[in-house]
Amino acid sequence: MTMSALTRPGERDRLIVKFKEIDWVFCLALCLIAGAGILMQFSIAGGSWTPWALSTAGRFAFCFALMICLAMIDLRVWFALSYPIYGLGLILLLAVEVMGDISLGAQRWLQIGPVRLQPSEIMKIGVVLGLARFYHGMSGDSARMSWWLLIPAAMVGVPVLLVAHQPDLGTAVLIAATGGAIMVLAGLSWKLIGGAALAVGMAIPPFVMFVLHDYQRKRVLTFLDPENDPSGSGYHILQSKIALGSGGPLGKGFGLGSQSQLNFLPEKHTDFIFATLAEEFGFVGCISVLFLYGAVIFMALRMASITHSHFGRLGAAGVTATFALYVLINGAMVMGMAPVVGVPMAMLSYGGTVMLTMMIGFGLVLAARVHRYSEVTSGKGTLL
Amino acid sequence: MGEPSIFFSEVNERQGTFHRRAFLMGGLTGVGLLTLGGRLAQLQLVEAGRYQKLSAGNQFNFRLAPPPRGLILDRSGVSLASNRPNFRLLVSRSKDMDIDKTVAELALLLPMDEARQKRVIRDIKNSPRNAPVAVMEDMTWEEFSRINVRAPELPGVTADMGEVRVYPFGGAFAHVIGYVAKISDRDLKEAGPNPEPLLLHPGFRIGKQGVEKALDVELRGKPGANKVEVDARGRVVRADPEGDIPSVPGKEVRLTLDADIQNRALEVMGDESGAIVVMDCRSGDILCMVSAPSFDANRFVRGLSGPEYRALAEYERKPLLDKALSGTYPPGSTFKTMTALACLEAGINPEERVHCSGGWFFGGRTFHCWGRHGSQNVHDAIKNSCDVYFYTMSLRVGPDRIAQVARAFGFGQTFDIGIPGQKKGTVPDREWKKRAFKRNPANQTWYPGETPSYAIGQGALAVNALQLCVMTARLANGKKALNPRLIKSVGGVERPHGDEVPDLPFSQEHLNIVRGGMAAVANDTGGTAYRQSQLGLGDVKMAGKTGTAQVRSYGSGSRKMTGVPWRFKDHNLYVAFAPYDDPRYALSVIIQHGGMGGATAGAPRAREVMRVALLKDPEVRARIERPLPMPELAPETTVDGVAPDAPIETPTPPAEAAPTPAPAPETPR
Repeated sequence: MTMSALTRPGERDRLIVKFKEIDWVFCLALCLIAGAGILMQFSIAGGSWTPWALSTAGRFAFCFALMICLAMIDLRVWFALSYPIYGLGLILLLAVEVMGDISLGAQRWLQIGPVRLQPSEIMKIGVVLGLARFYHGMSGDSARMSWWLLIPAAMVGVPVLLVAHQPDLGTAVLIAATGGAIMVLAGLSWKLIGGAALAVGMAIPPFVMFVLHDYQRKRVLTFLDPENDPSGSGYHILQSKIALGSGGPLGKGFGLGSQSQLNFLPEKHTDFIFATLAEEFGFVGCISVLFLYGAVIFMALRMASITHSHFGRLGAAGVTATFALYVLINGAMVMGMAPVVGVPMAMLSYGGTVMLTMMIGFGLVLAARVHRYSEVTSGKGTLL
Repeated sequence: MGEPSIFFSEVNERQGTFHRRAFLMGGLTGVGLLTLGGRLAQLQLVEAGRYQKLSAGNQFNFRLAPPPRGLILDRSGVSLASNRPNFRLLVSRSKDMDIDKTVAELALLLPMDEARQKRVIRDIKNSPRNAPVAVMEDMTWEEFSRINVRAPELPGVTADMGEVRVYPFGGAFAHVIGYVAKISDRDLKEAGPNPEPLLLHPGFRIGKQGVEKALDVELRGKPGANKVEVDARGRVVRADPEGDIPSVPGKEVRLTLDADIQNRALEVMGDESGAIVVMDCRSGDILCMVSAPSFDANRFVRGLSGPEYRALAEYERKPLLDKALSGTYPPGSTFKTMTALACLEAGINPEERVHCSGGWFFGGRTFHCWGRHGSQNVHDAIKNSCDVYFYTMSLRVGPDRIAQVARAFGFGQTFDIGIPGQKKGTVPDREWKKRAFKRNPANQTWYPGETPSYAIGQGALAVNALQLCVMTARLANGKKALNPRLIKSVGGVERPHGDEVPDLPFSQEHLNIVRGGMAAVANDTGGTAYRQSQLGLGDVKMAGKTGTAQVRSYGSGSRKMTGVPWRFKDHNLYVAFAPYDDPRYALSVIIQHGGMGGATAGAPRAREVMRVALLKDPEVRARIERPLPMPELAPETTVDGVAPDAPIETPTPPAEAAPTPAPAPETPR
């Protein structure tokens, strides 16, 4: 296909052209990561497809197809739907606050008929779309420093507080950090960034001591001094580090990780799956997977950068930021560098919700690439 | 959508900022990923060894493997205490365990009544965490497999195969060997603040008495360890036999006892109460040491129930008391051997005669003899057990001389035979009286009236069966101050013999006179135990001395033993050695409250036990089985030692022999 053909009006709206515009290397990297996750889930189950590996494989196939479909959707449609999605997410969060199921001591789930919804997950995408939509119509100057910035701050702050109150500190931190990343990318003044960073830094100690729930505070304190209580709350970190370290350079071999196979490692198929991988495949396996994560993140950022519309750029970059945060927070946690927060390793851990969210997000990223030339007006959506 | 405009319409300040910031964000992410990579390198490359050790520590666990307890064998290698397999049910308490529920489920699989369940629950609750409690021992194979099948669903429950001590002869060796039992809190306290982990193992049994206690450490061995793979809940996933550390079995202990003699001795005791000790006169080895009635030591291994223990402890004939070592009794007339030797050593002419008219008047009262023996020299006095002779002579000898001889023959002392529980007994003399009545000076004087009683083995004199046997062995041996030996070897290392001792300080001639008297007791037709002492082994003959020890003053009442409560009957004693011309075996029998006359209860039993000992000795056997020399003269030649007109008694089983009293009008005392 030549340049001339692609410059023909309407040519880029053809489905086959769109399909070819998808970054298939990026898709391959995602598949490899998911494949590694399925492999580990197979191993942890003692070499069995049940209960985790098969369902993850099925989910990934579904999510992958969904991602490709979403990539076909024009950015203008995404643009038009962004506020409704954000609004829906906010309403559902409020609904959870009022009438959500309490499971494991936290109100996270909303039962609507047969469907169990976790509105905080919808909100991860919702905040990205909402902020991108908002900044799209904002001038560079006001995005740097103006009173208008209170609006995006509130758009992030309200859901963060609602999620934190569930309480789901991990997701709240993730949403807050994603929102912050989008604000920074949109051109927030360095003065404001510095001030906010200072304020957050100063707020953390009193927040930990007085606002957090006991179990959350314990996790944080344990992180600061894990040897204090090796069989109690320091257990997770210690066992995770043992799993990692004992893997050595080349690992113990597939299916031979004693820490995970013998249940010393807690949450081995979800939050601590990276430790399982580290134990069985060692340093080489870990670095390979981290490399794949890095590749996904950089490809996604590049896709964001070549998008012409501000909405597309910010949306794609916001999704990338969420993904990078998942990887960095979970990695740091598993390696004993951060407190134990309930943040899974995206795409690797067992759990359908996070995978669905991330793949929808990557759908947006791919859509931004496919429709990078698409003219998104600052006004209302042209299609809806 | 006009294509060219796209490149320019959005080229603005916002785009430039975004690109710079996106680049920055990518950089930060890169730094973050590199940090993770660095951390991985630190954990997996630099500190890998440390974490591999920790991981192995998680994964592998060493389970204590108790060593098999050392065997206890008799002199010819017959097993007296060994081990047998035992299916046990163990429950170890863990954090997330519902004890009540677990026990309730176990009760569906095993016979456990309510009370048992309650006790089990209490035991588990009192146990330290992760230290298994033996809930049930000696399960059948079916119960064992039933538990093994269900164990995966019952956290903390395991069934394993351990070893348990078994005493094949039950009661015959119970007092000598003792038994093992569950370790008590007191045992643990004695072990110090950091007891060996073996002591806390649920199957461990500690020696509680006898050889098991005295040689407990040697018998115990050194525990090994089984390497097993465990999961996070501590459950064994897989055994790793290559990593096992083998245990060192306990040392084998060989005793000088002989199972055949010991068993026969307990058998002939019937339901009488008392003791039999047999010794080798040349080496000092104890061949038999029985206390009756006995108890089944196997019951103690499992633990006695309250009623069982009470039944044993409260029985009048005291099965739990070791009468061979811990019970002391007046030796009665068996002590006349000592008095006789003291007399001879004091210079009394062996041919000097004393007239016995059935009584002897001294100090305002009459000392009775059990018969009217007429004129007696020392040989006759021993043969007839004549009291009057010894009453008379004792005054000339005095208590100190008698005591000196008695001590030289082993009375008033304990022997180093390697097991605890020996009582010294009492050998009275003037010195002893001063010590015994320190608080009461009025009683410190030795009254002359005490000496005649002393001379016939009564009064304060108290001896145990082992001492009596040692005395007999030393008399029979005639030379050496032989010491008894019970432990032949431990772990193959021979223990010192009892015959590496100095000679007795007595003249051989005098000892021969006493031995001659004893031979007459058993072999002269007029001897006090003639009828009961016939071994029926050709020219292999036994020598002995009867004894009766009063346990109460007869006063003026009847001396008859019929109709008297058991506990008021006289003790009945007999000491013997054989063959009398070449002594090999010495023996003592004490029948507590056996009734009048050493010949009735003691001698028949001594004969039976002695026959077993003699027949087991190859040299003696060869002598018995040697063809008789063909007589060259007329067939009226008589066999030595047997009165021509006396019928040669064939040995009869003791059950018949014991209740048959000697037809003599009075039995010797």
